[in-house]
Amino acid sequence: MLKHKRVYKISLFILIILIAGLLFGSLASGAPVGNNLGLEGKLGAAIAKAPAGTGVGQIDPNAARGFLGIPGAPKVNPIVAFLWAVWVGWIFTTVGAFGGIMAGVGHMTVFGLGDYAKGFSKTAPELGKVMTDCIRMSNQWLVGLSSGVGTLNFLKAKRLAWPLGLALGFGSLFGGLLIPILTGGKVSFSAYQGWFGIAVFVVGGFLLYETTPKGQQGKKAAKAAAQAFEKSIKEKSDIGNEGIKVTKWGVTRIEFSFFGVEFGFNPIIAFVGGMVIAAISSFLGVGGGFLYVPYLTSLVGLPMFVVAGTSALAVLASMVMSIASYLNFTGAAVDWALIGTELIGVFIGSMIGPRTQKYIPDVWLKRIFVVLALYVGIGYFSKGFFGAPWVPM
Amino acid sequence: MDWWMGLDGILIHLYRITGWTLPDYFIGTLLLAMIAVVIGDFTTSLVYLGNRSYFRKLNSRLGELHESSMVALHLKDTPSYKAVNREANDTFGMLFFGMFGLSASYLWPAFFALAWMQTRFEGIQFPLFIKNWTTNYFLTFLVLYILARIIFWKLKPYLPYFKHVLQTH
Repeated sequence: MLKHKRVYKISLFILIILIAGLLFGSLASGAPVGNNLGLEGKLGAAIAKAPAGTGVGQIDPNAARGFLGIPGAPKVNPIVAFLWAVWVGWIFTTVGAFGGIMAGVGHMTVFGLGDYAKGFSKTAPELGKVMTDCIRMSNQWLVGLSSGVGTLNFLKAKRLAWPLGLALGFGSLFGGLLIPILTGGKVSFSAYQGWFGIAVFVVGGFLLYETTPKGQQGKKAAKAAAQAFEKSIKEKSDIGNEGIKVTKWGVTRIEFSFFGVEFGFNPIIAFVGGMVIAAISSFLGVGGGFLYVPYLTSLVGLPMFVVAGTSALAVLASMVMSIASYLNFTGAAVDWALIGTELIGVFIGSMIGPRTQKYIPDVWLKRIFVVLALYVGIGYFSKGFFGAPWVPM
Repeated sequence: MDWWMGLDGILIHLYRITGWTLPDYFIGTLLLAMIAVVIGDFTTSLVYLGNRSYFRKLNSRLGELHESSMVALHLKDTPSYKAVNREANDTFGMLFFGMFGLSASYLWPAFFALAWMQTRFEGIQFPLFIKNWTTNYFLTFLVLYILARIIFWKLKPYLPYFKHVLQTH
C-alpha cells in the first residue's frame, strides 16, 4: 500500500512538472500569431509565423500598431523623424556623404527600429530579416533616390561621357538587381548592422585623411596650383564646346575625344566597377555617389564636369533597379509617410547648411564627424558582429 | 489623426468624377499625382529662391574650373589639370548635395500621396487591359506621377508664379 502511494505521488509530481513545462514552454516560445493581422505580402506572412506574446521577439496582436502597422512595433514620432532629418540635410550640405550614414543611424538607432528587428533574431528570424530589408530600403528611398533624382540636372546639361556611362550604367543595373535577389530576406539585422559599421569606418577614414596634415597640405597645394594656373591662362573661351566623339570601339578598349582631348577606358572594368559599387550601395541602402566619383576620376582621369553627369546616370540606374528589386523580390514594405516627413526635414536642413557653413571651419567640422564616425562605427560593428556594443549605445 | 481623416474625405472626391470605378481610379490617381507635382514644385521654388545665390556661385565656379581644366589638358599640363580637377571635385560635392536637398523638396508630397493611397488601395490589384495583367497602387501612381510631371513641365512656362521662377533660373 505504502509502495503504491509512493508511486502515485511520484507520478503526480511528474505529471505536474510535465504540464507546467508544457505551459511554460508554450508561453516562452509563444504560439504563432496565426494570421497576417491585415498586413500584406511577406511582412504579413512573417507576422503570422511569429510567436504571439508580449515579450521581446513576440507579437502582441492587441498592442497599438507602430512602424509599418505592426502591433507593438516602435511608433516613430514624426517630430523626432523631422528633426533628425533636418540634421541629416544639414550634414549633407556641410560635410557631404556622412549625411547618408546619419540617415541610416536614424532608422536603426534613433527610431528604435534596429533593436526591434534584432529582437526577432531567435524567435522569428524571418520577420527580423523582412524588417532588415524594410530598414535598408527606407535608407535607400531617403538617400539614394533623392540623390539620384537630384543629379538629373547634370544629365540635362549634357555632362555625360555616354560610352562610359553606358558601361557603368549596365553594371549598376546588374548590381542593383543582384543584391536584393541574393540577399533579400536572408540578411539578419545583426549582420547588416555590422557591415554598416564597416561602411561608417570607410567614410570616416576618408574624412580623417582630409583632416591630416598630409591631406590638408595636398588640398592647399592643389588649390594654390589651380589658382596659379587660372591666373596664368587668359583666353579660356577659345577651347569651344566640342562635346564627346567616340573614336574607337572595342570590347576591351573604347576611346573618345572630349573638347579635342583623347580619353580611353576598358568597358569591362567600367561594367564590373559599376556592378560592385551598385551592389555595395544596394546592400547598405546608400546612394553610392561618393564611390562612383573617385572611381571615375581614377579610372579614366575624366574632368569633373563630365564625371558629375556620368556618375549621376550610374547612381540613378542603380537606385531605380535596387528599389524596384526590393519591392518585387523581397516584398519589403515602406512607411511612405515617414519617408515624406524625413524629406521635408532634409530639404529644410539643406537650406540651413550653406548659411551656417561660414561660421564653422571646414576642418573642424570634419574632425567632429571623424570622432562621430569612430563612435558609431565601433558601436555598430561590435553590436552587429559580437552581440554587444563596445561603447554606450 | 483627425487631419488625416479630413484629408481622406477631401482626396476621395478625386476618385468620384465619372461614376465608373476603374476610369475613376486612374483619373483620381493622375489628379493626386498632379497635386503632388505642383506642391513639390512650389516648395522646390522656395528652396531654390532661398539658396539661389549659393547655387549660382557653385555652378559658375564649376564652369570656370571646367574651362581651366580643359585648357590645362590642351596644354598637356597634367599637374595643373589634376589640381584644377581636385578643386572642381570639392565644388561638385557641394553642388551634388545641394541638388539632393532640392530633389527632397519636390519629392516629399509624392510620399504622402503614396501613404494615403496605401490606406485606401493596399492589396487591391488593378487591371492593365493587356491579357490578365494587373498592377498595384504603387506602380500606377509612379507611372501617372511621371506623366503629371511631364504635363506640368510643358505647362510651367504659361503659369504665373512658376513662369517667374523659371525665368530666374
